[in-house]
Amino acid sequence: MSVRIKKVKTGIQNKSKEVSMRKVLTGLHLFIFLIFPFILYAGVPLNTVEGHVNKVLSVLRDPALKGDSSKKAKKERIRAISDKMFDFTELSKRTLGTNWKNFNPDQQKEFVVLYKDILEGAYMDRIMTYKDEKIIFHKENVLSDDTAEVQSSIITKTAETPINYRVILKDGEWRVYDVVIEGVSLIKNYRTQFREILANKSPEELLKILRKKVGKA
Amino acid sequence: MKLKPLDIIIIGLIVFFLFGFTHISIAFILSSSDQDQEVKSSQEDQAPQAQKQTVQESGERINKADQKEKGKEEGIEEEEKTIEIADPLYVWNKGVYYFNDKLYFWLLKPVAQGYSAIFPEGVRFSISNFFYNLTTPIRFLNSLLQLKMKSAGNELIRFVVNSSVGVGGLGDFAKDKLDIKRHKEDLGQTFGYYGVGHGFYIMWPFIGPSSLRDTVGLIGDAFLDPVNYITPVQDSLEITASDEVNDISLHIGDYEDIKKSAIDPYISIRDAYVQNREKKVKE
Repeated sequence: MSVRIKKVKTGIQNKSKEVSMRKVLTGLHLFIFLIFPFILYAGVPLNTVEGHVNKVLSVLRDPALKGDSSKKAKKERIRAISDKMFDFTELSKRTLGTNWKNFNPDQQKEFVVLYKDILEGAYMDRIMTYKDEKIIFHKENVLSDDTAEVQSSIITKTAETPINYRVILKDGEWRVYDVVIEGVSLIKNYRTQFREILANKSPEELLKILRKKVGKA
Repeated sequence: MKLKPLDIIIIGLIVFFLFGFTHISIAFILSSSDQDQEVKSSQEDQAPQAQKQTVQESGERINKADQKEKGKEEGIEEEEKTIEIADPLYVWNKGVYYFNDKLYFWLLKPVAQGYSAIFPEGVRFSISNFFYNLTTPIRFLNSLLQLKMKSAGNELIRFVVNSSVGVGGLGDFAKDKLDIKRHKEDLGQTFGYYGVGHGFYIMWPFIGPSSLRDTVGLIGDAFLDPVNYITPVQDSLEITASDEVNDISLHIGDYEDIKKSAIDPYISIRDAYVQNREKKVKE
């Protein structure tokens, strides 16, 4: 009997111990979960962008891809990296801003494709000339829950140019939706231009202008 | 004495109030035209936005999360509202823009290309450094006016080091070896620092994009540029022109890139000018 009672008692004691352990554990969990986001996100946007940029640089510096003959292959590889690096839909949405809703889904799709082509046409050749330029990544600033700004500069012989990448978290990936060079935001600059055009032209007419620009008229 | 950010703010506030109402009224007059435009555009934006949202809500089934995201997006759009500049001189500006465009492609670019064929890049960098070093007074004084003591000090050190070790400013020893960066402060930025708005956009022949505020700044800064004190005036102009050609020779392709990337180059350049100046004022 006495043994039994003892057993029951220890059982109770165990239970109370369990309860207090649980309290500690939940406390710990809470603590971890509170801290976790900071640990999780710190450095990730920067590392992601830096990783993509380094990949582009390694393509540009690849000795196997020297000369004009391999230009196409180089472009192809850079394009593949940029597809992973950028969120062109987000970029388009933010460029058009409130005008985005005036485009029907098909027009939106076409806009994203054309806009991407224009950006590629504008920057690919410039990127292809980079060789000995040094790129330094400084730090990242949190802009909101799911956006951040990664600060870097490119150092050429003439000058040091600050380039900031704005990234957004989507499906666990940080992707670039804006590039700010010397304080000039890419999407803002195009937004001003598109707004001016859309002020007295329809989305279809804007698409026509863009088709002509990329040579798909 | 080391200045902390808080001290600078306090000193800034005192100076601000010392300048008094005259300053505020000038700033108001200059920036009022900008503000009017901004208010108008934001009102225009908001109205259709609200309409559309109600349409969407009543129409399709939207997840709460989606809605939340949309709200956030709109918040960001609001935040990132494009800063517009008034452009009452549009016709003049556009004319000058075409003039400058042709000036570049027909005259300056070929001249600069011929010039680069004669002088190697290193020499051209040195010439550029030399002229840059000469305009130190502009940057020093404007750093002081903006109470940026560190920048002012750095400019002073840069001038002393580069004029001596850098052989009369030909080399940028301060940047290359001592890592003392350039602080490109000018009077337009100083005005901006004290809250003066752009006024409106002006495109100048030869000089390029500017605004009412920055034009006044350019004129003020010109008094601190030693090249402008060279007599006869013709020599001074020739030196300025060759400095210009030298600079262009180091930046051939930049303008072409801007033109290539733009849908409407005139607006693209105007917006880039405003955004870039905004950043420089904030720095």
